[in-house]
Amino acid sequence: MKNHLRELREDRGWTQGALADQLGVSRQTVNALETGRYDPSLPLAFRIARLFNRPIESIFLPPEDDDAHG
Amino acid sequence: MVTSTLDINVPAFHDGRMTNKLDRRDRSAGDRAASRAYQLDFWPGIAAYAVVLVAVLTWGDLDGTSPWRFLWAVLPVVPALWIVRAVLRHARRIDDYQRFLLLQALGGGFAVAMVASVTLAFLEIAGLGLAGTGWIIYGAGMLGWIITGAIVGRR
Repeated sequence: MKNHLRELREDRGWTQGALADQLGVSRQTVNALETGRYDPSLPLAFRIARLFNRPIESIFLPPEDDDAHG
Repeated sequence: MVTSTLDINVPAFHDGRMTNKLDRRDRSAGDRAASRAYQLDFWPGIAAYAVVLVAVLTWGDLDGTSPWRFLWAVLPVVPALWIVRAVLRHARRIDDYQRFLLLQALGGGFAVAMVASVTLAFLEIAGLGLAGTGWIIYGAGMLGWIITGAIVGRR
């Protein structure tokens, strides 16, 4: 799943490690999220949305295939 | 000038030149704390295992005839269980994604160990008498765990 996590983090001047600490996950996990290799669990997605004060759907973009079938 | 909602919380010290620094792969404070906790759990188990192993090889007389040799032979299980406990506690401590990677690595190790055990069993049936097959299976499984862990960790 694509997302805007990297832009949001960099706009705040945070390292991946700093974001990881605020979310309570590892830096490796933040990297996997940013590169789209890992889709967060719902609780983690809510934590991310709360941290950036944005709705989940403005951070995470559903895959295009899902839109076509939806 | 604010050009988008993303600009609102930008700290004054941040500009484009910092991107490389922001991409650095330093471990976070949480990573270091989890790693420290794992080391504190893991290494006493390894140290105890080494001590017990030396004791077994020195006084166990495993090649002898004493019935106590069986007790000596299973004695390394105690520190080994401590190591298993350390890995399980580590699995509970890490986040979902890391647990997923750990599961894949363990799965790789398990698959290699199973294939090795079946292969060795058939070789034994075919008449190839290998000594220490248990150690071969153990080594193959551990190697499978380590290699799979390295591969999934790099992706």
